[in-house]
Amino acid sequence: MLFNSINFAIFLPIVFILYWFVTNKSLKYQNILLLVSSYFFYACWDWRFLFLLVFSTVLDYCAGIKISDSKNQKVKNFWFWLSISINLGFLGFFKYYNFFVESFAEAISNLGLQVNPWTLKVILPVGISFYTFHGLSYVIDIYKDRIKAEKDFIDYSVFVSFFPLLVAGPIERATHLLPQIKKKREFNYINAVDGLRQILWGLFKKIVIADNCAQFANTIFNNSGDYSGSTLMLGAIFFAFQIYGDFSGYSDIAIGTARLFGIDLLRNFAFPYFSRDIAEFWRRWHISLSSWFRDYLYFPLGGSKGGTWMKIRNILIIFLVSGFWHGANWTFIFWGFLNALYIMPSIIFKTNRNNLDIVAKGKVLPSLKELFSMGFTFGLTVFAWIFFRSNNLTQAWITITKIFSTNFLIYPEFDGDDSMKPKILLILIFIVIEWLGRENQHAIANLELKFPKFIRWIIYYVIILGLFYYGGKEQQFIYFQF
Amino acid sequence: MKKFIKQILLFLLPIVLISFYADNYISTNLKKSNSFAVKEYSTWNAIIDGQINSKIVIYGSSRAWVHINPKMIGDALNVSTYNLGIDGHNFWLQYLRHSLLLENNTNPQIIIFSLDVFTLQKVKDLYNSDQFLPYMLWNDKIRNATISYNGFKSIDYEIPLIRYFGRQNAIQTAFLVKKTNNEVERIKGYQGQDRQWNLDFDKAKKTMKNYERELDSSSIVLFEHFLNECKSKKIKLLFVYSPEYIEGQKFVKNRGVIISLYEKYSKKYDIPFYNYSNDPLSYQKKYFYNASHLNKTGAELFTKKLIDSLKKYYYPMPISEKNKHIVQRK
Repeated sequence: MLFNSINFAIFLPIVFILYWFVTNKSLKYQNILLLVSSYFFYACWDWRFLFLLVFSTVLDYCAGIKISDSKNQKVKNFWFWLSISINLGFLGFFKYYNFFVESFAEAISNLGLQVNPWTLKVILPVGISFYTFHGLSYVIDIYKDRIKAEKDFIDYSVFVSFFPLLVAGPIERATHLLPQIKKKREFNYINAVDGLRQILWGLFKKIVIADNCAQFANTIFNNSGDYSGSTLMLGAIFFAFQIYGDFSGYSDIAIGTARLFGIDLLRNFAFPYFSRDIAEFWRRWHISLSSWFRDYLYFPLGGSKGGTWMKIRNILIIFLVSGFWHGANWTFIFWGFLNALYIMPSIIFKTNRNNLDIVAKGKVLPSLKELFSMGFTFGLTVFAWIFFRSNNLTQAWITITKIFSTNFLIYPEFDGDDSMKPKILLILIFIVIEWLGRENQHAIANLELKFPKFIRWIIYYVIILGLFYYGGKEQQFIYFQF
Repeated sequence: MKKFIKQILLFLLPIVLISFYADNYISTNLKKSNSFAVKEYSTWNAIIDGQINSKIVIYGSSRAWVHINPKMIGDALNVSTYNLGIDGHNFWLQYLRHSLLLENNTNPQIIIFSLDVFTLQKVKDLYNSDQFLPYMLWNDKIRNATISYNGFKSIDYEIPLIRYFGRQNAIQTAFLVKKTNNEVERIKGYQGQDRQWNLDFDKAKKTMKNYERELDSSSIVLFEHFLNECKSKKIKLLFVYSPEYIEGQKFVKNRGVIISLYEKYSKKYDIPFYNYSNDPLSYQKKYFYNASHLNKTGAELFTKKLIDSLKKYYYPMPISEKNKHIVQRK
């Protein structure tokens, strides 16, 4: 069930009404309702993978209790490594099996030997990368004595499977979400209204911005040989807005939906394209994953406490792992590597925490220096997206060589659709709205303060009109494939 | 909570009210378009608004639509004739046109059924789904005929405006229909194609292997139901297999089996079957624009031949009240 589908538009009000009007007397019943709804939501994709989700949940639940209750370190270690290896085993099998087999066969064939790779038609269970990371962080936190194991199976299952975050995050932490699940939730009017506003803006980002940009980005990247360097550059920019609109739109809908149920999820995006350097970009892009890697990989590896070489090694490792997390393709790994290269100088020279505040805070316009920094950072990001979006490294290389040639000077042309110019205008309007709302949780969060109700409602109706006009395609979210 | 629910309902109320009006506005204007949705609206309008009322009607796919000129038939036999051929669709939706025709118009006396190898096939996707948009809301006949395809969801048939979600071209057409050139290009449902032989077939010949057309069992059941229905309503049926470029005929492996099936029905239900597969027209590329479709010149030559065959069944003379359904020379 997609967030941008009619089915979800029916599902959400039903769960909302049952939650606040039928089960509101009992926290237990509310949590059971959330769990049943979440499993139903997940089963709408493929009910067979529900068993995998339940198995993973049961495993981590049991492992957590065993680790927490046992006084014997050997028992703790056993359950810890059992959970880690099974979780990563599932992830590795479903996500990376074919990649490893094919890469191995290719490497062997380069040595002049022939092998028939035994590949399988493995379907990637939706959300596996996300719920596996939920479980991993939970078990690691217990093992490190940061938290106690959750004894209530329903509560723990809701933590893993809560439907707004189940398939593409934000990747939650037990320390943040579990206490909310265990506490009686009260309906908060302001929070619920802003949740709806956030859902609306998320849908706008997905349906109006991302899906429209996808139309061009897909055509250009799927036929990259036919287009000039300038058009390819435009395709990469379209993709930059597609992936931002798609994933941050998804996150807004997820967070907004959770707020309707009185639950606050972790923030996942904080206007990353207004970043002044790459370090700031990575503090603002897919925050829940970046912080997960920071806490469960970067810090355990020694973080930035060691010498320069250790810092370089650790940065390289987390960006390569982050690239690999996105998918079994060398393009993602190279994308991670490129971002590690981008961020390396700031880590070495300790300038990575230069831009911690919001750009041009309290001002309408940025300074020239800020504008240049943002433009440069955006350019670097777009360049890296070329690898992320290309089907293979060869395609990425051809695209880049075309962009950095005289081919770039040709006026961009696009024969797939004649409506590219209005859509560029749409993106510009989108950038302005995001810029004006950059000091808030989401771009239209401050409407409440700035405009009277009548104007606010007109703005909502205009957004809904945009959704109506551009909607209906029900395109998948990009991050579902990860 | 009460305040929240109240505000939500207040917010949604204008949307609900406007959706009825907007649906009506878009649908009413969209069906006026003679250029959108493969120009099918003029035919659907004529069927649904009860403007057909013709004694002879032509059924079939695009091969019916571009092959048989109803005006020529009408002029030659002095009888009202209409072409209801539907582009890209098989019998499943040809039958929809038939049932809506009977519902909204007087019964025809003769149905010329243009058969082809695709007639009893059923595809998954609802080709040219835009053609159903203005008529499908709360219409059970259209719903039953189209719901089994990948195209619309149940909610599209029930809730106003939902089916227009993201149909930018349809919405634009509805709003601009009065401002654009909107000449009717179909004449009584027919549209001759003033085109030359294109290279699609020659390209396909190099790359494609011959293949089998799969017959759909539900379409066969519906087809037999249709034959019985015509019999019970005393509507005379004529099967016609219009010319098909001779080399193209070889592509479909089970063409012979399919034609034998039509012959079986022809015998069983006593329906004359005119098969032009081996007509001299089928051997001349100049009369086709692709392997399955005659161009305008070919279509008019073929219609003349068809008129000669029709003369056996239709006389332009007054008919007695008793035998008004069928005038047949034995």
